[in-house]
Amino acid sequence: MNDRSASASSRRLHFDWLNSLWPWLCAASVALSLLMLGALLTLLVVRGLGHFWPANLEQVTLNSGETFAGQTVREVALPQQEGDERLYFTGNQDIDGARWRWVAIEEIAERSHPVDLIRLERTPWGDFIGRLAAIEQADQRWEGEAAWRHLTTLLALPINQRPDSQLLLSTANGQTLRLPLTNVLSAQAPNAMAWWQKTHAWGEGVWRFLSEGPRAANTGGGVWPAIFGTVLMVILMSVMVTPFGVLAAIYLNEIAHQGRLTRFVRIGVRNLAGVPSIVYGVFGLGVFVYGIGGSIDEWFFSDTLPSPTFGTGGLLWASLTLALLTLPVVIVATEEGLARIPEAQREGAVALGATRLEMLTRIVLPMAAPAMLTGVILAIARAAGEVAPLMLVGVAKLAPQMPVDGEFPYLHLERKFMHLGYHLFDTAFHGEDVQAAIPLVYATALLLVLIVLVLNLTAIFLRHYLRRQRGSEC
Amino acid sequence: MIPPRLTTPRQPLRLLKDRVATGLITAGGIGVLLAILAIGIFLVWETLPLLAIGDTLALAKLSPLAWGTLKAALAALLFAIPIALGAAIYSALFMSARLRTRIKPTLEMMEAIPGVVVGFIAGLILAPWVERHLASALALIIWLPLSAGLAGLAWQLTKARLRRRLPLSWAGLWLVPWLALMVALALWITPWIEQQWLGGDLRQLLDQRFGMDYATRNAMIVGIAMGFAVIPSIYSLAEDALSDVPTTLIEGAQALGASRWQALWRVALTAAGPGIFSAVMIGAGRAVGETMIVLMASGNTALFSASPFEGMRSMAAAIAIELPEAAPGGLTYHLLILAALVLFIFTFLVNTLAEVVRQRLRRRYRHMGGTS
Repeated sequence: MNDRSASASSRRLHFDWLNSLWPWLCAASVALSLLMLGALLTLLVVRGLGHFWPANLEQVTLNSGETFAGQTVREVALPQQEGDERLYFTGNQDIDGARWRWVAIEEIAERSHPVDLIRLERTPWGDFIGRLAAIEQADQRWEGEAAWRHLTTLLALPINQRPDSQLLLSTANGQTLRLPLTNVLSAQAPNAMAWWQKTHAWGEGVWRFLSEGPRAANTGGGVWPAIFGTVLMVILMSVMVTPFGVLAAIYLNEIAHQGRLTRFVRIGVRNLAGVPSIVYGVFGLGVFVYGIGGSIDEWFFSDTLPSPTFGTGGLLWASLTLALLTLPVVIVATEEGLARIPEAQREGAVALGATRLEMLTRIVLPMAAPAMLTGVILAIARAAGEVAPLMLVGVAKLAPQMPVDGEFPYLHLERKFMHLGYHLFDTAFHGEDVQAAIPLVYATALLLVLIVLVLNLTAIFLRHYLRRQRGSEC
Repeated sequence: MIPPRLTTPRQPLRLLKDRVATGLITAGGIGVLLAILAIGIFLVWETLPLLAIGDTLALAKLSPLAWGTLKAALAALLFAIPIALGAAIYSALFMSARLRTRIKPTLEMMEAIPGVVVGFIAGLILAPWVERHLASALALIIWLPLSAGLAGLAWQLTKARLRRRLPLSWAGLWLVPWLALMVALALWITPWIEQQWLGGDLRQLLDQRFGMDYATRNAMIVGIAMGFAVIPSIYSLAEDALSDVPTTLIEGAQALGASRWQALWRVALTAAGPGIFSAVMIGAGRAVGETMIVLMASGNTALFSASPFEGMRSMAAAIAIELPEAAPGGLTYHLLILAALVLFIFTFLVNTLAEVVRQRLRRRYRHMGGTS
């Protein structure tokens, strides 16, 4: 008897002991999710921000006696062979015909970091890596160290005040080349820089990324037009979505008869938030662009007709589509805020003689304001990251004109615009030299994630604050 | 005593204003709701011409897309459901309350990461890496759950003092470095195993032995990337359902002699079952409609293939690629709008089902007397 119960309990113990591993699997899923999220964000931060750090330039001599200069990018195992190979960014596309070079590590005889290696950013051919031999300006000539000092003072001047001068450059393997100063955008001698100079250069690089337009098929320059387009589109969208979303929420919560139909409508609205964004894009293309836009063209812009004005994707249609897409978000958040307001507040106001309008504008809306704000911020966060519908209704790879300029009517709603998310997609997948564009894609992705995360965090804190405040009131 | 003045001279104006405003709000509200309804009407209207054509061949063009959509969604759910539900169970039932208030918003933040960013990482960084280290990637999938169990075993065997230092209720956090270590270990050791037993290259082996092609951007990559995007929505809803289970139920089960795990497994999970189901449904809806991730990570070739190492083309991706070039009114245009309609109806139905189940569940909990 004693024996049997002991064995049973030992079996039970064994069973429990195996079962007690399940919680660990569950805990590991939390840990794995955190790990993936952390890895993604770390990757974006490291690669996105690291790109702007002036990397050291290396002069490599191969076993064959050939020399070249470049920046190490990464090492990969050789296919079908022992050993590794290393990828160098060598620039000088006009001289070498290529910007990248794979070298097997075994073939490298010598590596050094000469202080006089420089890296120039130029407009037609991308980066130059080599040495500065001299600068010629009219009949003056600077050489060696003096030339470099003169170049930095010249580049500090604004572009239109730079004097006509010629740069005499030589590559690591001795080829020479003349370059007019007007083609040079910036110059660096990273091997000669101290860490604080590099930090300064890094800050400048980040700033130029944020404030300049893209260059050289998106492999250089910055994303300023895309930031501008995204922000403008989102502002237009929130101007449209806020009043209508709030109106619909007030109607649903305060005016409509709370019956079965209203409940169905409410569920329907909530579910629309789960409808794929591409469906909204299809709607925007069919109704706004082809339908309304086509009619506007026929009525008002018939003189330009074969080429459409409003009958093609543009800023207005994109922001309208996204407004429709984010409408459920605003309605749901506002309704939540309205439902949270105690009924006694409304009854009190009406009992004191307020009409419904007065009750709404003086009591209910001010109390629900933070909830509305939360809804709008969430809507903006969703819209800023949404790309799929924009591909149908008006985003452009490279918009020749900004949607806002000095020409009447200043805001051009029919123009196409650039968007951070689409810029990322296009650069990463349709670029000519994806290898060269990837660092900038990382930086763009980081920027996009930061914008969206900051917006979301704001909404979360706002909601948290709101709950605490309400909690003390009711 | 002055009697209250009931009618002021401005009273009619106030009433008129009120009337007008109410009318305006009603009109605006109904207008907005109609605009939303217009989406469905438009999609149906634009697919009607297809009926007139009555061409079944045209419909056959959609079937690889439908297959691609299903395959992508299934791959994503296969990856997401175990992780999301595991995380939900752990954070609703085991995690310390203080940690939970931090972890839950963090995981929900994952949902905010734009699809383009996930798609870029998956298509341009993860896909080439997995292609080069296929064996390591597959080994990780097997090794990570094992290593979690290993952590549990090791924990059971450690001294009580250390156990108090690293309690189970905080395991979600302190397992992170452990898992990172295990990932590093697996990555370090698999090339060696591949060299010893798999002839040096698993991809070649797959090709020769089983005739499986390997595409760089394939269903496995899409599954991981889209699973990553779907995890937070499943997690968040399932966690809500589980933590809303009245504590009296679990306590009652334990009082009747169930072990803690039995109480959780048999009682809490069963009670929250419908909620978990609706969470999975919503995740499925999201996976079916996600565009950018599939567009960037799947290779976009319309194939009928069940192999996890081959690509696909989903309906959403096809719409994004082809619709801007399709002539309005043409056959392709109507077909793509039919695809959009299918997506719309599917997600709408799935979400409605999930919502109804959730509301019913909430009523049942209230019935049981749980208020939390």
